[in-house]
Amino acid sequence: MLRVEDIFVSYGPIKALENININVNAGETVALIGANGAGKTTLLKAIMGIQKVSAGKIIFLGEEITNVGTDKIANRGLGLIPEGHLVFSTMTVLENLQLGSYNNPNCFNDNLESVFESFPILHKRINQIAGTLSGGEQQMLSIARSLMAKPKLIIVDEPSLGLAPKVIGEIFNILRGLNKKGYTILLAEQKAKKALEFVDRAYVMEIGKIVLHGPAQELISNPKVHNAYLGSKI
Amino acid sequence: MSPVLYYFLSLTGTNILMCWSLYLPYRVGQLHFLTVACMLASAYFSGYAARELSWPFALILIFGVLIGALICLIPSFTIGDAPCFTVVIVGLTVIFIFKTAVENIPALGGTIGFFGIPEVKGLLPLTYLLLAGAGVLIYKIDHSRLGRAASLVFVDKATAAATGVDIKRLGMFFQIIAGGLAGLAGTLYAFLIGSLFPEFFSLGIIGTFMCMLFVGGHTTMWGIIASIPILEGMQLFLPSSVASWRQVIYALTLIAIVLMLPGGLITKRMLINLTAKMFNRSDTGKASGTIDKCIK
Amino acid sequence: MEVFIAQLLNGLSLGSMYVLLVLGFNLMLLVAKIIQFAYPHLVVLSMYVCWGMLKYTSNVFLVILASIGSCIAINIATEPIFRLLAKRHGLDINVSFVVSMSMTLVITDIMSHLLNYGFPIAFPSKWIGKSVIGFGLITFSSGQAYALFGGIAAVLAFFYLLYRTRQGRVLRAISENSLLSSIIGIPTIKTRVISYAIAGLLGGLTAIMLSKMLGSASPALGDFVGMKIIATSIVAGLGNLKGGLVCGLLLGITESMAIGYLPGSWSNAISFMMMLIVMLIKPEGLFGIKA
Repeated sequence: MLRVEDIFVSYGPIKALENININVNAGETVALIGANGAGKTTLLKAIMGIQKVSAGKIIFLGEEITNVGTDKIANRGLGLIPEGHLVFSTMTVLENLQLGSYNNPNCFNDNLESVFESFPILHKRINQIAGTLSGGEQQMLSIARSLMAKPKLIIVDEPSLGLAPKVIGEIFNILRGLNKKGYTILLAEQKAKKALEFVDRAYVMEIGKIVLHGPAQELISNPKVHNAYLGSKI
Repeated sequence: MSPVLYYFLSLTGTNILMCWSLYLPYRVGQLHFLTVACMLASAYFSGYAARELSWPFALILIFGVLIGALICLIPSFTIGDAPCFTVVIVGLTVIFIFKTAVENIPALGGTIGFFGIPEVKGLLPLTYLLLAGAGVLIYKIDHSRLGRAASLVFVDKATAAATGVDIKRLGMFFQIIAGGLAGLAGTLYAFLIGSLFPEFFSLGIIGTFMCMLFVGGHTTMWGIIASIPILEGMQLFLPSSVASWRQVIYALTLIAIVLMLPGGLITKRMLINLTAKMFNRSDTGKASGTIDKCIK
Repeated sequence: MEVFIAQLLNGLSLGSMYVLLVLGFNLMLLVAKIIQFAYPHLVVLSMYVCWGMLKYTSNVFLVILASIGSCIAINIATEPIFRLLAKRHGLDINVSFVVSMSMTLVITDIMSHLLNYGFPIAFPSKWIGKSVIGFGLITFSSGQAYALFGGIAAVLAFFYLLYRTRQGRVLRAISENSLLSSIIGIPTIKTRVISYAIAGLLGGLTAIMLSKMLGSASPALGDFVGMKIIATSIVAGLGNLKGGLVCGLLLGITESMAIGYLPGSWSNAISFMMMLIVMLIKPEGLFGIKA
């Protein structure tokens, strides 16, 4: 579905990403794990066309999307849920959802119903200003907004950032539910244990390179990953 | 000396002073057009004091500088750390109010203009002497603790505040010095040219100063010295039919430079490279070289 | 009392013109993140277009179409310049001010060199129309009526567009967070161009109504109106649309009252003085910065 081939990204003379290859198949859940500054967010930005790619190719559904405008990439069915539960904080929940369905306003009502089914809390707060929601609710709104566009691939950047442990569990449950409904999910996450429990496959990133990849179960039992990311317990 | 050359040298001198007075507050990211109002006030004060009150030149010069500094001092208590755009509009508004006042006071010549300011012997050499003094002052400020703090404020106000820079006091300091320089420029302009017109102090002159500052380069004090003689000389050599469009020429040059060469003709990096080349063997050269690498 | 009512009516119609321009200016500030200092100058330029068209045709519809069209077209034509500027400097509103101020010099010089030999232009009396109400000192010309009612209609339409339609929602989304907007698939460049077009439309409408109300224009009018519009925006709080609405009306009324009760040449200086005092006391504006 999504194929990233040998991409390079640099900020001036500093190489942020080197020779990255990843692959996401339809129906899968895939994680990018790695410490702060490993280049996870940069990779997601490069896929979305926010960060310019200096070499390599990004192919989505058979079409090349390297360095195409962000809005065009979004309209091809890539839904990014950015880190830090970003919402349009001066607008109401309903307006946020309406903005989410920018490219297919015709099936707005059907989408809205199915979104409210998954997120009953948002239905209750439909006319509330988004900036006054709690962090967890904002994250849900952020996910709901991207679902309104019926994306073919959901890219989630650090969904756990700045949220309470209990809320993080809820968010991951929601993502699991979405995967069961048939959504393909690419997840970037620092909390490696949470991520590996959730996904089918994962890529481990370190300072702009992919150092390991494989099925999640294999990585959990890999001693290197274990020491570096999961702590010595388990 | 031919009148054309005298006129050219006079305007070049006062324009360099005025552009330095805009350059200094721009170090902390403020376009301080209030200095044009200082220039207007000092020029009219000087003209009036010399022609009507027959004050001696030296006294007028001191008062001219003080008036300029005072006009910048009063608003600086509130706009010392104001956002750039508020400072711009405060400046434009004060210029407009001063202009309206001059136009409505018959003793200052009203809209017709103020003529017959007595000549001062040897003023042109003195102007350049004062200019050199002002240059030394600005160089000292630029290379002091304050100058470095200003560079930090220009890039990031929050970081500067966190490092302990008092942004407001720094802004006030630069604004007051700028006012003094503009007062000096106004007094010298009045005596050098001998007549004053309220129409001179309009948006057009602000555009001209801005063009000189940004074309020369707003990152160092030396850019202005390169751009002003060129831009000022241009209108002397161009045929009069073209020279009457000089406002448009300045404006288009400014737009082109801001789009093509964001730092202007002379930038700080260029100067650092130049010093590195000149003192290639010495330690300062190596140090500058490393700084340059860091900037790159 | 008669003077008061007459000047109040004057002030309201003048104020509604200021409001339209403040709204257009703020829209570009919010959506395109630029200070378009040359916006009022463009409005004066399209007054010149209106005046020029009136010489060749008496078809009112054609005249209105030409002056509104020219305002929209020229305003959109400045967009690539500001886009290139943003590419070079980032979204720095100070640099956009430097560039737009240069544009004002170009526009003013074109008007004072090429159009009507630099003399002020006067609109034909047929275009201005007769007074609608004449009662003692109170006269309400048809131009003022157009300005007042046209202004109110345009302001209502503007706020309806911004807060009740899909396009308005998109404009507000970009003004709040343009990166997030493009992530959810909103085309940012196209929407920015639309904001220039809306501001141009407001400007063109204002040009028509101003030409009917004032009956004349001059190259210096742009500088005057420009400084008032931008000072009002700052007094209201940059980017604050509702504040701009209140302060624009207040400015119109204050100015008319100053004209009614004070010697003529000082009235402008007084409104500037008042704005200066507010700016010095509250540099962030009366209603708070929203940009």
